[in-house]
Amino acid sequence: MTELGLTPYLCLGAFLFACGLLCIATKRNAVGILMGVELVLNAANVNFVACARFVPSFALEGQVFALLVIVLAAGEAAIALAIILNFYNNHATVDVDRADELKG
Amino acid sequence: MVSWLLATPGRLYVVATLLPLAACALLLVGGCLRGVCRPYRESHPIARFLYFFLGGHRPLRSGAYLATGAMALSAALAIFGLVRYLDEYQTLSPLEMHQHWVESTTWAKVETSGATAMTLEIGYRVDHLTALMFAMVAFVSTMIFVFSIGYMADETEELHEDHEAHITRPGRFGRFFLYLSLFCFSMLNLVIADNLFQVFISWELVGVCSFFLIGFYHERPSAAFAANKAFIVNRVGDAGFLIGLAIIWSQFGTFNIERIISDLAGGDPPISHGLLVAAGIGLFLGCVGKSAQFPLHTWLPDAMEGPTPVSALIHAATMVAAGVYLVGRCFPIFTPEVRLIIAYTGGITLFLAATIALVQTDIKRVLAYSTVSQLGFMMLALGVGGWVAGLLHLLTHAFFKALLFLGSGSVILGCHHEQDLMNMGGLRRRMPVTAYTMLIGVLAISGTPFLSGWYSKDMILSNAMGFGLQNREHMVLFILPLLTAGMTAFYMFRLWFLAFAGEPRGLEAEHAHESPGVMTVPLIVLAVFSVCVAWGWPLWDPHASYLGHLLEKALPGPAHGLAIDDSTHSSGWLALVVAASGFGLALLMYGTRTIDPTVWKARAGALYTFLREKWHFDELYDAVFVRPAVALGYGTARFDKRAVPPEQADAADRAVNVSSLDGVLNALGLGTMFFGARLRGAQSGLIRRYVTVLMAAAVALVAVLVVVYVGS
Repeated sequence: MTELGLTPYLCLGAFLFACGLLCIATKRNAVGILMGVELVLNAANVNFVACARFVPSFALEGQVFALLVIVLAAGEAAIALAIILNFYNNHATVDVDRADELKG
Repeated sequence: MVSWLLATPGRLYVVATLLPLAACALLLVGGCLRGVCRPYRESHPIARFLYFFLGGHRPLRSGAYLATGAMALSAALAIFGLVRYLDEYQTLSPLEMHQHWVESTTWAKVETSGATAMTLEIGYRVDHLTALMFAMVAFVSTMIFVFSIGYMADETEELHEDHEAHITRPGRFGRFFLYLSLFCFSMLNLVIADNLFQVFISWELVGVCSFFLIGFYHERPSAAFAANKAFIVNRVGDAGFLIGLAIIWSQFGTFNIERIISDLAGGDPPISHGLLVAAGIGLFLGCVGKSAQFPLHTWLPDAMEGPTPVSALIHAATMVAAGVYLVGRCFPIFTPEVRLIIAYTGGITLFLAATIALVQTDIKRVLAYSTVSQLGFMMLALGVGGWVAGLLHLLTHAFFKALLFLGSGSVILGCHHEQDLMNMGGLRRRMPVTAYTMLIGVLAISGTPFLSGWYSKDMILSNAMGFGLQNREHMVLFILPLLTAGMTAFYMFRLWFLAFAGEPRGLEAEHAHESPGVMTVPLIVLAVFSVCVAWGWPLWDPHASYLGHLLEKALPGPAHGLAIDDSTHSSGWLALVVAASGFGLALLMYGTRTIDPTVWKARAGALYTFLREKWHFDELYDAVFVRPAVALGYGTARFDKRAVPPEQADAADRAVNVSSLDGVLNALGLGTMFFGARLRGAQSGLIRRYVTVLMAAAVALVAVLVVVYVGS
């Protein structure tokens, strides 16, 4: 089996990133936005791991950063879910468009 | 600890300097804690405990004991250090002495382009002058701290009634000792400093302590005014000091006094003569302000608004002497031209102040003008090259002037805050200890043989006469102090006779009472020192004073134009005759009343009013400086603000008018408000809009980067 090379992985990463960003920009459901954020983070992770595999000077750093992003994503999810829960308790909805009490 | 101290015994002085600071810090922390705990004393047990532990509703007396104890320990260390220094001076070589008694450390590095790094240092340098001055300051301070415990006792009340400001306020016992301790730290630091920058810092610190303490009764308008006056007048002098420091820093690259002097003594000084004169005048201007010399003398008599122990410590014995001390320290920096200025400033000051003191009736003001006059004596002595004489007078004066001021404090307290000499009289029967200790002070300051003042004043006059004989055109520098010696005897005995002799002339004097022991013991101790501090053998030779001989060893080199004595002792005899006639006149006018003072007052007429109004200096300065400054202030305010009726005030605040400062500032403010209101809409609260903007911005940024990179 031949090596695929770096480019397909980067394309996958870019595709995931675009999906995630689109998800954040279009969803009104807070949980949906959270899922978009996870997609964006994982797109970055794919890039990190791929670079760790194919770029010699990046071998260690790529993997370390991937682990870091996983931990970060977990923490972010926990906090975001807590915020969403509180928001739901106060507004009986998870529609982010309703979260505009502080607008200018 | 002890071995660490004794290995470098100069560190004794550092410890002695820091002790009052530690007391000050403890008092500050205690006072703050008490204030913090006060609102919670009912609700919280810890706050309650702390609040009542720290004195509760009344100021804590033990704060004063703490400050006094720290000061006493400091004085003990100072005297131990003095003894050890004199001991080592006999046995050790100069190099070893330098290792033992001089130390400094880098504080901040100041790089300059090209040249080597210049550093600001902090350090100490102990020589005979430092050791003696330090011991004097610490000792006199201790006496005054003890006296203050008695004098300020009414500040320990929970609610103290101020009869002059007509208000009732909490007592401020702890605060008084806090300020005093801070002052002592600053003063001691000034004395041991080995460089001019450290001197300057301490100089400002003692100035601000003086401001706090003059304004201690700040509810009284007169006290607040006097505090401001002292501070502002001192700023004038300090501006000169700063200029002097700047010249020295730029030319020598160091503030270390010893190094500056050795640089100057070398064959090729790194400074031009003109700049050296300018630096000398600048430094001296600082001393003029601090030591209340003409023309900046007007603040000192007003400083008597502070509590009397403050007048004794700061405005008589120590702080005002700092100017003289600095002139003595930096003596070789002053060129002959500057020394002549110093001598004439001293000469004018001593004469002027003495003439004013002749007619004042407030007991503290007489003493204040006599202080100004005596400081003039010291400056004159230094100016004519009488280095030892000037500094000896500084030391002896500190003792008898502290004694006189504390005596006046005792009188004021005994007479229930009556300060007018005309309402006193006959107090010697009611307060004998105060009366006779003060008599010793009066005798000492008048130059009575065998009392400390005689030795130093005789040396000053002898040096002045030597200078006058050598430079006949400056003979006036001998005649002025000679006349003033007579006036000194007159006004001091006038004070004593008016206060203590005869019969009571006022209700308060009739009901006067002797002060408690905590106040009379310092008087007695200071009286003993006022008699014998300058003694030497043989007793009748003023030039044999042991203290003078000690000072001689600190002389900053022989080649600096020091004065020659007149060899005939005629100045001493002349001074004695003049002083005796001053005493005789005072005795006739106020003792036996053979000459009626009121007749002479009427005969003097305009001259009496002129002296009584202090040569109209206050009015002159008021017209020349104060009023134009106030007018300028009002003018500037008018430029900023026009009088508008209240209903139009809002419209006036919004008026945009580029022809006035106010209008320009209004335009600025309105413009900011306008753009702020527009920008506000951007914060819509819609996450989707934020993300869209974010994406667009990122794309735009990438596009710009691509264009730039492809383009290049």
